[in-house]
Amino acid sequence: MTETHIEVRERTLASREPVFEVRDLTVSYSGVPALAGVSLDVYRRAITAFIGPSGCGKSTFIRCFNRMNDLIPSASVDGTILYHGQDLYARDVDPVAVRRLIGMVFQKPNPFPKSIFDNVAFGPRVLGMKDGLEERVEKALHDAALWDEVKDRLKEGALSLSGGQQQRLCIARALAVEPEVILMDEPASALDPISTTRIEDLMHELKREYTIVIVTHNMQQAARVADMTAFFSVEVGGDGRRTGVLVEYDETPKIFTTPADKRTEDYVTGRFG
Amino acid sequence: MRITLQEELDRLEAAVQEEGELVIRGLRGAVEALVTQDGGLADEVIAFDDEVDERYFAIEEGIQSLLARQTPVAVDLRLVLALLHVNLHLERMADYCVTVAKLVKLAPRVPEGNALEEGFREMGTRAEEMIRASLDSFASRDLEGAERLVEMDELIDRANRRVVGTVLSLGHDPSHQEWGLRMLLVSRSLERIGDHAVDIGERTAYLVTGEFREFTDASH
Amino acid sequence: MKEVVIELREGRPRGRVPGRLFLAYLLLSVAVGLVLLGWLLVDVVGRGFAWVDATLFFDPPSADPQLAGARPAILGTLYLMGLLVAFTVPIGVGTAIYLEEYARKDRWYNRLLEVNIQNLAAVPSIVYGILGLAFLVRGLGLGEVLLAGAFILGLLVLPTIVIAGREAIRAVPGSIRDGAYALGATQWQVVGRQVLPAAAPGIATGTILALSRAIGETAPLLMIGALTYVPFDPTILGEFTALPVQIYNWTRQPQEDFKLLAAGAIIVLLVLLLAMNAFAIWLRNRYQKRW
Repeated sequence: MTETHIEVRERTLASREPVFEVRDLTVSYSGVPALAGVSLDVYRRAITAFIGPSGCGKSTFIRCFNRMNDLIPSASVDGTILYHGQDLYARDVDPVAVRRLIGMVFQKPNPFPKSIFDNVAFGPRVLGMKDGLEERVEKALHDAALWDEVKDRLKEGALSLSGGQQQRLCIARALAVEPEVILMDEPASALDPISTTRIEDLMHELKREYTIVIVTHNMQQAARVADMTAFFSVEVGGDGRRTGVLVEYDETPKIFTTPADKRTEDYVTGRFG
Repeated sequence: MRITLQEELDRLEAAVQEEGELVIRGLRGAVEALVTQDGGLADEVIAFDDEVDERYFAIEEGIQSLLARQTPVAVDLRLVLALLHVNLHLERMADYCVTVAKLVKLAPRVPEGNALEEGFREMGTRAEEMIRASLDSFASRDLEGAERLVEMDELIDRANRRVVGTVLSLGHDPSHQEWGLRMLLVSRSLERIGDHAVDIGERTAYLVTGEFREFTDASH
Repeated sequence: MKEVVIELREGRPRGRVPGRLFLAYLLLSVAVGLVLLGWLLVDVVGRGFAWVDATLFFDPPSADPQLAGARPAILGTLYLMGLLVAFTVPIGVGTAIYLEEYARKDRWYNRLLEVNIQNLAAVPSIVYGILGLAFLVRGLGLGEVLLAGAFILGLLVLPTIVIAGREAIRAVPGSIRDGAYALGATQWQVVGRQVLPAAAPGIATGTILALSRAIGETAPLLMIGALTYVPFDPTILGEFTALPVQIYNWTRQPQEDFKLLAAGAIIVLLVLLLAMNAFAIWLRNRYQKRW
């Protein structure tokens, strides 16, 4: 007997273990908080989406998970992010090791000006995974649903691919180092609708093996792909300062049918602002 | 493409078909209880309705969730809306089965046997056929199959009229009057089940053609 | 409702005359530059073409214009260029990488460094000559040798190379760096494997253009003692001369023929310059990344 929708969801609930535990996270630029007091858990092999209006800090937030905010000198992070129980920001943690396990795909496809093969092989090469390089590259391209389109032209330049293909190449590049988590910062916002659908279908496939976190300004996309959705908004303080806060975090169907917070409802119904 | 949407649509449709199977079981139980005047079986049928209701709410919630998240359009949207209505029709059918079961319990026992046994067995069989036909033609998007439900409904309607005639002919015997009234309601319930099956057929037509259309007008 | 008049043919001419005048002025500007340049070239080539022969290339200078050649000068110039590249490219590119990739922009000493480099690029070349004379030739005791000349010219073009290097490195989009970092690369790997290879064509172009400036510098070389009469082939630690110096020398001679010989040497210098610039442009067109 096939399961109803409720039963499927309950089963996913039971298998959830948190990959990330965020507790009271605050990110500041030059001392000014851009995002404050965020706490949530990210679950394994699920797609978690961060949505919200621009300026709410969702991109800043996602970059905390792979310590990319380290590259911005004026950024400082307070609070904790535990990755499988370990503090990501502990003193002895090596950002390189973090980024091997937690990969990232960016909004605008950013393939390197090298061949398709060298793009995908770059990660393994810099991390010292020298053996079985060709198999690694092939598997990554398969998993990113790009192999069939490029298998005969691996030596060609990556910039000769279309936008949607380039983005899948960037996904393959991230997969090649065998991460556990894939972070995606607005992965389809620069793509046409058909490419977007392909990326969304790809995410659906990938979540069987990987934990995925995405930031999207397109809430319909979050509704379509995400299992859990976190809604962020901007709070304006007495001094006019704008700080991002987490308003609501729940299973996606709940956010889009019966959200608990009025701010969430205003946003998803489009009556925001 | 749109794997998630397709999977969810398939799951919902399968759930609805399952619900249909449950309704058929309930119908059989109700008719059996009716012709054998079995109060215990009637109780089972009444309790069984809870299972159908559970399915009904789950499917409704699933449809709500799907509409909110997947924004289906065109044929996908028609399918979801059709499923919404079919879900409702099935639940109503199950409720009529409960009505029959309750009437079995309420009606006084008639020791000389059930004069309407043949009629009710026939109506029960017809109704079951119609439910199956409506769900099958929905599953295979068979427009002609759906339209044939109208003829099948004619048969139930005729059987209903025969029952009415028989009850009226028994009417002079006061001990049979209460029983007769109850049986009229039973017959009406079975006939309504047939009507709901036709409604399901109309939803199939809507799904296939995109038009809202009554198969027959209500004048007869 | 107001009626809309549709008139597609040309309307009043009021806007057209200023436009045409402006265009005329632009064309005149271009013409002036071209005509002057053209006149110079024609003059030089006219005078010196006959004197561009094997003697010019292969023979040492002599008191007799018929026998005189510019071989030591040509060799000197070539050696200078070679040493220049070896000296300035590592240092210049290294500085550019430091400033762009490693230095924190808000630190005062880095800002000071930046300002300095901009200023150095504008310093007149003779100042470098004096500098070289004081510190290298006399202070360090190098003497009036080719190496010193190479150092001085190197200092002269170093700011240009740093600036060109920085432009090339800056042109590499941040998204490339982000992508590399996100894969787990260290800063060294990002710079060495992504930024530098992508910036290489720009750096090469900048270097060649810097060289083509240095090739013609006369004043600093004179300051540190590039001799005007060098009949022997130059060595790195020996006395030397260079093509511009040789040209200068010949134009000072009384004989008319020496002036023509100078014109011939000028042609050689110009051809060399042209070739270098053409190469730089070809490099840029061929390898420039379109971001």
